[in-house]
Amino acid sequence: MISKDLSVEFLGVHFENPFLLSSSPVDNCYEMCAKAFDEGWGGVVFKTIGPKHFKINEVSPRFDELTKEGTPFVGFKNMEQIAEHSLEENLHDLRHLKDDYPNKVVIASIMGTNEEDWETLAQLVTEAGADMIEMNLSCPQMTSHEMGSDVGTNPELVKKYCAAVKRGSDLPMMAKMTPNITDMVPAAKASMAGGADGIATINTVKSVANIDLDRKVGLPIVNGKSSISGFSGKAVKPIALRFLQQLRTAAGLEQLPISGIGGIETWQDAAEFILMGATTLQVTTSVMQYGYRIVEDMKNGLMHYMEDQHVEHLSELIGVANKNIVPAEDLDRDYKVYPKIDWDKCIGCGRCYISCFDGAHQAITWDIKTRRPSIDTSKCVGCHLCNLVCPVGAITTGEVVMKPGTKGNPEDVQIESSRLTHPVQ
Amino acid sequence: MSTKYEKEAPSYTMTTVMEEAARCLLCHDAPCSKACPAGTDPARFIRSVRFRNLKGAAETIRENNAMGAICARVCPTEKYCELACSRTGIDCPIDIGGIQRFVTDYEEQEKMDILRKGDSNGLSIAIVGSGPAGLQTAATLLQKGYAVNIYEKNEKAGGYLRYGIPEYRLPDEIVDVEINRIVNLGAEIKYNVTIGKDVTMADLKADHDAVVVAVGASEAKMLPMFEGNPYVETAVDFLARVKEAKGDIDNIPASAVVVGGGDVAMDVATTLKRLDVKNVTDLVYEEFDEFKASKKELDATQKAGVTIVDGYVPTDVDGNTVTFKHRHLDSEMTIKTDLIILAVGQQVNTDNLGVDTDHGEVQHAGYKTDDEKVFFTGDIAQGDKTVVWAVRKGKEVAEEIDQALLGGNK
Repeated sequence: MISKDLSVEFLGVHFENPFLLSSSPVDNCYEMCAKAFDEGWGGVVFKTIGPKHFKINEVSPRFDELTKEGTPFVGFKNMEQIAEHSLEENLHDLRHLKDDYPNKVVIASIMGTNEEDWETLAQLVTEAGADMIEMNLSCPQMTSHEMGSDVGTNPELVKKYCAAVKRGSDLPMMAKMTPNITDMVPAAKASMAGGADGIATINTVKSVANIDLDRKVGLPIVNGKSSISGFSGKAVKPIALRFLQQLRTAAGLEQLPISGIGGIETWQDAAEFILMGATTLQVTTSVMQYGYRIVEDMKNGLMHYMEDQHVEHLSELIGVANKNIVPAEDLDRDYKVYPKIDWDKCIGCGRCYISCFDGAHQAITWDIKTRRPSIDTSKCVGCHLCNLVCPVGAITTGEVVMKPGTKGNPEDVQIESSRLTHPVQ
Repeated sequence: MSTKYEKEAPSYTMTTVMEEAARCLLCHDAPCSKACPAGTDPARFIRSVRFRNLKGAAETIRENNAMGAICARVCPTEKYCELACSRTGIDCPIDIGGIQRFVTDYEEQEKMDILRKGDSNGLSIAIVGSGPAGLQTAATLLQKGYAVNIYEKNEKAGGYLRYGIPEYRLPDEIVDVEINRIVNLGAEIKYNVTIGKDVTMADLKADHDAVVVAVGASEAKMLPMFEGNPYVETAVDFLARVKEAKGDIDNIPASAVVVGGGDVAMDVATTLKRLDVKNVTDLVYEEFDEFKASKKELDATQKAGVTIVDGYVPTDVDGNTVTFKHRHLDSEMTIKTDLIILAVGQQVNTDNLGVDTDHGEVQHAGYKTDDEKVFFTGDIAQGDKTVVWAVRKGKEVAEEIDQALLGGNK
């Protein structure tokens, strides 16, 4: 079995590996975190601890899922708020986790309703022995508008509360940002201005996942009604990566330390977040679906990836892809690349023909007798929709041509792509 | 272009293996992982496939089983892991063998080198026989730091894997790949050496710290009434002859009769069909409900177009004409054919090997003999005579040797 050093330094804290449980139902008590540590997680962001005066009263049931064809949990909707246990119980658990797992990182997630709350909670979790604080400025399903994502979209409040936490504690601190905002940069900058040392993102995306067609109400149904609440899982990964990219390319935030969150369930997802600038990685939805054990393949797969990439430390990979994602106006628009059909692989299903006609440029002709498609280059724009729908990987990137009136050598164009040039089949 | 005899069933693609892995329920306390005689952990490697960690999946398979790519192809999984599969509660079990084949093919395609030679402990072991048990014994010992010499009576290694299992089920190339891994770990294979003739057990004992007898049931059994009959060939000889020639043999008969109902009989009958023998009739002592062949092999044989007649025994033979009678019914059948193949079992030959067997097996449990330097494993050890059991026995004898020589310590 391969063995590589997966350790990272994040906000001055050493993590034996970058995989953390995010603040959520998956790390709600000592026993859960202890089991997760035993199975190999590098740290936990303990489920958000709120002020004593704020009472949590949850609904039942509280989850829903988005499916597609036979695939469950494409996305996951969650209505649960912050920790239900008493403040004393939570502080007790933090203390004991740190005592029993000194080499694991215990991060306290906190959430207040005012500056005093934030400062007090920061003090209490510091006394309990937490290694780091995460400010939950982003939960979208709180029953108070003084808490959660309503706060996180307001840079002034964000800055004020960050400063309050810093008054209460000298621990490293990250502010957890909501994606329910057009531009995350102002909130992130406000956090840093308030004293945050890094950013955790994304929290869940506000959603209505499904509607019960007979009862005409969203799911899950709580005594005949439902609510908007946070959506997570694989479906939100692209949204999360987009926010990471925007943060890491904002002026002044190029070296922003990020704890990446949003649909991570494989080592490939983890590597993508790292390449987009995350140092640590937080996971919930796939743990809810499959259990803590998923960390085994994330760690092992990431080690193999490091070996393949000839990399000794994950730090060498952080943010490497950021520079290759540029504004749309900066992309090379002088060429197009035609698809190429491998007749030996083609099984004659005609899906490329249908998609090209109905969703693209009517550039595939279909031979009724032989049941084989061919590309009409006079119409083909090189969009490669055909490639994506082909079930057997018979369509790849082919000839590159320069558009009329442009200069440049087609051979200099970089079209290599794991998806299009070498479809995984 | 490979012939029909050589052509292996198609493997999964990345897309289709994910579809199959997605059917896996990822059970808690997975029953499949408790059902493998060789200790394979399908739940673990299928989960790795599911989470796109193919290299991790390959590590899980290979570190447990030096014959991983072979077992993937030949194991009667429907008796073990797939029998235990929880998915059966919905429809049909996960194709665990198929997924294992995809992963081990990927391992080879990526040229992964998973097994590591242990630091040398200065001890050396002789293994007699290079079938699956001998090979697994070698792999386990090499990982523990022993030097290993394998003595093989034939000119190629692999035993029944090489000479018995047909190409369409187990390509020669796969056998080569698996053996090369073990050679790369440091095994030295000495070919064309028969113990008792070219070298004696005393020589082996003098040159090594222990000797493992890992000979299999490589000799065919004969029924007295067929002895000396020019139309008769044993399954062992037939399968070896066809495999050696890659299916390109002379004088393909128009019809053939196979006698026997085990997996070997199924292989013979299917091979005959793949060689385009028009009429292949297999007469079997057992009735279908007591069949010895695995369900998978039986189904494939019937699908290949072999006529299987159950419950019949040969009672008379006159040249190329055999008469069978039903064991219970008043029924008789006489068939005139071009070739009669006997697949009625195999026996071991342990002459000059210092191991006493009765009915092909040592009559006590474990792997030790009265001679503290001599161990045995494989078909002659108690337990099933399948490849997966050979792997288990190979690992177990290696542990027993390690215990005996080093108390299990490095």
